[in-house]
Amino acid sequence: MYLLDLGKIPGQQSMLIFHALARMGVEALVVVSPKNPLVSIGYFQDAEREIDLSFCRGNGIPFMRREVGGGATYLDENQIFYQLIWKRSNPRFPVQMNQIFGELSIPACETYRTFGIEASFREENDIVTRKGKKIAGEGGGDIGECMVFVGGILLDFDFGTMSKILRVPDEKFRDKVYKSMEENLTTMKRELGDIPPREEVVQTLIREFKKMTGNLRPRELDDRLLERMKTLEKWFTSDRFLFKKTRKIPKGIKIKGGVEIRYGIHKAKGGLIRTVEELEEEKINEIGISGDFQFYPKNDLVTMEVELRKTEFEEKKVHHKIQRFYDEHHIQAPGVMPDDFTTAIVQSQSEGPE
Amino acid sequence: MEIEGYSFPDDLYYDKEHGWCRVEGNLVVTGTNDFAQKMAGEIVYVQLPLVGKAVTQGKPCAALESGKWVGRVYAGVSGKVVEVNEELEDNPKLINQGPYDQGWIFKIEPSDLEGELKNLMQGDDLVRFIKSEIIRVGAEK
Repeated sequence: MYLLDLGKIPGQQSMLIFHALARMGVEALVVVSPKNPLVSIGYFQDAEREIDLSFCRGNGIPFMRREVGGGATYLDENQIFYQLIWKRSNPRFPVQMNQIFGELSIPACETYRTFGIEASFREENDIVTRKGKKIAGEGGGDIGECMVFVGGILLDFDFGTMSKILRVPDEKFRDKVYKSMEENLTTMKRELGDIPPREEVVQTLIREFKKMTGNLRPRELDDRLLERMKTLEKWFTSDRFLFKKTRKIPKGIKIKGGVEIRYGIHKAKGGLIRTVEELEEEKINEIGISGDFQFYPKNDLVTMEVELRKTEFEEKKVHHKIQRFYDEHHIQAPGVMPDDFTTAIVQSQSEGPE
Repeated sequence: MEIEGYSFPDDLYYDKEHGWCRVEGNLVVTGTNDFAQKMAGEIVYVQLPLVGKAVTQGKPCAALESGKWVGRVYAGVSGKVVEVNEELEDNPKLINQGPYDQGWIFKIEPSDLEGELKNLMQGDDLVRFIKSEIIRVGAEK
């Protein structure tokens, strides 16, 4: 098995490399950072539905579809990516899904621990700190005869840009995504107060991976690899691949396992209702309701938002809470019934942003 | 039959990529076997092949995602895709709920059914293969 310790290379190359190695059937560990920022979307995501393309284009941030799972993410030089490529027939590595993620997360967890951050793997496929904050996301897939597992050590993370690259229904929603990321994600810089020396992190990560892979033979980005990446680049940057239509409809933005932000839009007789809700473990953690409908007493809309906190994200339970609120507070909202709010909150999220 | 807790209907043919084939008249219905769906966990998305697509036995022709992993679905026999299970696009979990019935993935008009069925497994061959796979992935119950 090879080791490609590539430092910082052009953004798209940092992604193309594992796709090329897997297609070539070359087993390797790649450790790499993108020299320039880029956006990466999951294999089944629809770029136009998930990404704010005009922001990306306006800021010169390219985007790329990867052949592994997960959601849209922003990559830059403050992330150190590990990409492990192995043949499916290689008995050294797990093939069962939960084992792959659990076992192959150990080197990243140990790397964090070496620098004083207690981190562990948590279903579904995140690395989290002791306080439950996500500090790495991971994904994988079958490519050719190989299996590929990828993840990244977060030295630092640009939450602001990440919230801007996502396609969202409105700025209120974007603000919620930003705040939720700030609360639920963390980085080495946040945990330690400063970014540790990159090379020390890289060497620790490689040392930890070697405990699993055995000895690794150093390999450069040689002509054969570059040639294969160049060929692949044509396909990976083609509109046909980038804008591939899928029926995977975004239901919201997943912040980490168990936490996501969803949006609701519903046209009631009395006006348009918009909701932004943060769900945690299938319960409403926080909710914001807006729109052009009338609601009296006016201040009670905020009170209703507070009342809805901790409600299970289930149609009957949400409806019951709202109906009771209407009754107790003598709410008058012409053309906007509890059914309408319930629909906006529980059902409209599957329609995605307009 | 049951092999160490995993279900494998006797009338189907199985390949080493964990797919199954059921011969129905002049068509072959295909899907993912019980062992594979259990190993994958909850399936969140299925990318179906296009109707009319020519497929080759043992080559990937569809894909699915579970737990941030993108897995491939391989053609059990060669031929032309004539129908896909569109319900999976809205409800991919059907594969978990019933891998051999409501979770079927696509139907193929085979080009060499007689010849290629010989490459698939049933009975003792299947038992040996699945048992070796269970040991390989450490999935003993």
